[in-house]
Amino acid sequence: MNIKTVKKQAIPFQETLILTLKDDTFFFVPTINAEDNTDYQAILKWVADGNTIEEAD
Amino acid sequence: MSSTIQVDTIKDIGGNTIISSNGSGTFTSNLSSNVSSATGTLPIANGGTGAATLAAAGLQRPNANPLIINGDMAVAQRSTSVTGVSNGNSGYQTCDRIRFDESGTMGAALTITQESLTSGNAFINGFANAFKVDVTTADSSPDADDWSRINIRLESQDLQVFKKGTSNAEKFTLAFWVKATKTGTNTIELFDADNTRSIGGSYSISSSNTWEHKVVNFAADTTGAFADDNGEGLRISWTLSAGSNYTSGTLPTAWESSTVANTAVGQVNNFDSTSNNFHITGIQLEVGEYTSATIPPFQHESFGDSLYRCMRYYETQTGFQFFTFQSGTNVTNNAYVNCSVKKRANPTGSFSGSIINFFPHTGGGQGETNNATGMGASTGPDGHFFVGFETEANAPTTDGFHPIYADARNLVINWASEL
Repeated sequence: MNIKTVKKQAIPFQETLILTLKDDTFFFVPTINAEDNTDYQAILKWVADGNTIEEAD
Repeated sequence: MSSTIQVDTIKDIGGNTIISSNGSGTFTSNLSSNVSSATGTLPIANGGTGAATLAAAGLQRPNANPLIINGDMAVAQRSTSVTGVSNGNSGYQTCDRIRFDESGTMGAALTITQESLTSGNAFINGFANAFKVDVTTADSSPDADDWSRINIRLESQDLQVFKKGTSNAEKFTLAFWVKATKTGTNTIELFDADNTRSIGGSYSISSSNTWEHKVVNFAADTTGAFADDNGEGLRISWTLSAGSNYTSGTLPTAWESSTVANTAVGQVNNFDSTSNNFHITGIQLEVGEYTSATIPPFQHESFGDSLYRCMRYYETQTGFQFFTFQSGTNVTNNAYVNCSVKKRANPTGSFSGSIINFFPHTGGGQGETNNATGMGASTGPDGHFFVGFETEANAPTTDGFHPIYADARNLVINWASEL
């Protein structure tokens, strides 16, 4: 997965991450009960590779 | 009271023999249909397998849905055509459940389509759609770490019938229709994602741009059971192009710990000319070993059944109408949407399209068009999202709950829970 950024959302969507790919398409990825979500798994790997999730605006 | 009917032949009204007896308890049948309920020997010429029972023929799931979902490429919820597929564009492009993946730095560019068929051997055998890869920018010499392939991923819990990792492990047979411009050897990898094990297979394109039916056998594996869960168990990959990192070993004819160099040994480069196309449809995965003469017929599902099964992994909806409440003087509102089919796992959401708001509290009737501003993801596979949207110009000026009607017929919501 070609991840460009991952960003948190403000309340009330603070438990959902905005995943933006390098082609600027974006998705809303759950973090609760999300261990089987392959996008969430990709984000965890992306973070493990040294990247950082941006804070909400 | 009891009675006995004693006959040696049953004929139809045209005088044709349907069933005959040799007088010693053995019957010969000319029935050519409904073999699924028969228990006698099933003649190959009549669509049977030559085996005494369905179980002996390896048909262990004769009444079940096909293991491959959308193998006839009928369903394409996302789109029917995507252009400019190149480096970094792995993912589901058109047909549901059929994924294009690339590793390394793919130099080629592709157009991927759900192709409507109107002629050819696949069409006359019942397939009206195919997954087509059209090379629009050629790559005559892939880098060593390039690997491009079409793949299908199956859930582990759906694969228990293969009894993998046991002493009763079953063989795998993969059948499909394929048409390619490039003749020569192509490779297939079965990858056990639970145990990181692989086996290879190959098939040859004999005639350029001609539909050919291929049946490829794979050995059983007594090592490494598929997990009984909703994660990825088996990945079937049809290689289209591969660099030397993936071709320098030996194609494994038995299951082994996955070795990159053994992935696509002998693979032709389907990307070496912009004249090249690669089409595939009619994919079926069977339990046991079959030949082109004994492979069971493709199980055609209705479009509705196939769509329903696809929606476990991806669903798109549009045409919403929201009736909700605005809290106090906030400009942000939330509407609740729910998917139709329970997902494999807690899904990822996405949206496009605008929302038009109407505000009874200020007289109603006026429209304010905004895009959705965000989504609150679901907390489980039931797939309910909150969609955020704003009412910038017409926020209420008093506290309390204010009813809002939002015309969201152009809003498109997608749920994705792919493997």
